[in-house]
Amino acid sequence: MSRMKKNTFGVLRGLGLAFYLILALFPLVWIFITSIKPPDEIYTFPIKYWPSRISWESYEYLFGFANFGKYFGNSMLVSMSASIISTLIALLSGYVLARTKFRGKTPLIIFLFFVQMIPAYLLMIPQYSMFAHLKLINKLWGIILVYIGLGAAFSTIMARSFFMRIPESLEESALIDGCTRLKALFKVTLPLMLPGVAAIFSFSFVQNWNEIFTAALFLNSDSKMTVPVALYSFVSKAGIQWNVMAAGIVISLIPTIIVFAFAQKYIVAGLTSGSVKE
Amino acid sequence: MKNRKKGWFIFWMLLPVFSVIGFLSIYPTIKGIILAFQNYTVFTFNRIKFIGWDNFEEIIMDPDFLPIVWNTVVWIVVSVFFQLILGLGLALLLRKPFKGRGVYSGLVFYPWALSGFAIGLLWSWLLNGQFGIVNDILIKMNLIQEGIQFLSEPNMAMFSVLLVNIWYGIPFFAIMSLAALQSIPETVYEAAEIDGANAWNKLFKITLPYIRPTIVSTVLVRSIWIMNFPDVIYGMTRGGPAKSTEILSTHMINIIYYENDYSKASAVGVIITVFLLLYTVLYLKFSGSKEVEI
Repeated sequence: MSRMKKNTFGVLRGLGLAFYLILALFPLVWIFITSIKPPDEIYTFPIKYWPSRISWESYEYLFGFANFGKYFGNSMLVSMSASIISTLIALLSGYVLARTKFRGKTPLIIFLFFVQMIPAYLLMIPQYSMFAHLKLINKLWGIILVYIGLGAAFSTIMARSFFMRIPESLEESALIDGCTRLKALFKVTLPLMLPGVAAIFSFSFVQNWNEIFTAALFLNSDSKMTVPVALYSFVSKAGIQWNVMAAGIVISLIPTIIVFAFAQKYIVAGLTSGSVKE
Repeated sequence: MKNRKKGWFIFWMLLPVFSVIGFLSIYPTIKGIILAFQNYTVFTFNRIKFIGWDNFEEIIMDPDFLPIVWNTVVWIVVSVFFQLILGLGLALLLRKPFKGRGVYSGLVFYPWALSGFAIGLLWSWLLNGQFGIVNDILIKMNLIQEGIQFLSEPNMAMFSVLLVNIWYGIPFFAIMSLAALQSIPETVYEAAEIDGANAWNKLFKITLPYIRPTIVSTVLVRSIWIMNFPDVIYGMTRGGPAKSTEILSTHMINIIYYENDYSKASAVGVIITVFLLLYTVLYLKFSGSKEVEI
């Protein structure tokens, strides 16, 4: 009786797991299949599930005529620069907020929680008018700056919570041995912080890579577009075939999938232990 | 002497982040509030002046405004509810270790990292009324006779964007619930088993009560996030057709992109911000204010 019950449970569990797996993978598989279909097999009825031959034409068009390589490079440059810089400055402030005591610290942390809730699109008009004065519109550096600001508060909160998990005693003994605080930070704590650094960087990269609304407002010349802006411009361009669109979507998803594949463990740790108990 | 040195150390370490926040978050927030009371559009940028509450009046008197607020509420409540149920379901399936669990969770969690806009575009192809594979499958299963116009029918569009947003949000809830589930000590279950509890008892008497605090705070914080997440809608319908999927955030973006009325958009932004602040205050009260979760 009990064994039968256990088996039923096992089967149900397997079915459940299969359901979620298909649900998660099916859209991605289908968009990939669409992207490798020859152009004349996209709009057919009934639908062809499998292309008669694998065709890379859509990718050739994408990187050739549609200049997608340029946009990909722009996105890479913007996301990488912004993520590296915001991770670095977040480590500095996160360290201080985790390790030192000073007046006004708790309000400062609560302030960060408020700031990290402000979404990018709410800030983009005032930023636009500021950046217009600074001649930073339609410049990749302008958008890099925006993205550094976008992730600063959340990255700091995350850095703080990762620092708090490293025992302070390790650093103290280094201080007794005559290290300066900064030296102790770099020599002793930072190596233990690597998972934290990976989490902060990955979060920031994913957010920057996916941001579209500010980029679409700020970057208005063709040579400056990032990948999401380019996809957005495809939508309004008549005559873009769905196989090309599908190829663009596939290319746009690959970088964050790779980041997630490598940093999943750290991202999960960052997501779940971002909680702070005062 | 030593204290002063420490003070400067703290100051310099905090300076970069807080100057970035000041320059790129706080100043723009204040400026956005000021803009909301002005007449800044693409055409008036040389002649900006204060116009009082005109922008707010225009927004609120718009017959579309109440439907947009209603859509926003539907968008938040339905998304969160199903993301939670399905995410929790996935987490429960993953609680006990099995061979390949690490790889499996990577394959089901990955949508978390994807671009909401690209996901919207992707699904708009899957849900295409003519060449979409979802319609094709439904027809082959004899569930429908002809293709459903998922995105071009106002009655269907909200359903469709919600479907995609739910799909997109399952991993987040699964990750959060799984972490909470794994913090339940195994001994609690063992004790319950000795007392003769069945699986059902264990779920409702141990598991759910145990992870309730996490669930509550995740739901509350995630609601704000979903309200401010126009990406999926923008990839699928841009708020259309006939504003049937317009929520406050897409409304603001559409005013920026298509009306180029930056002050009116800022006023929508202020309305959203007020809502966010109220919600946050309530949330901090509700969750005991000592614990702040992301």
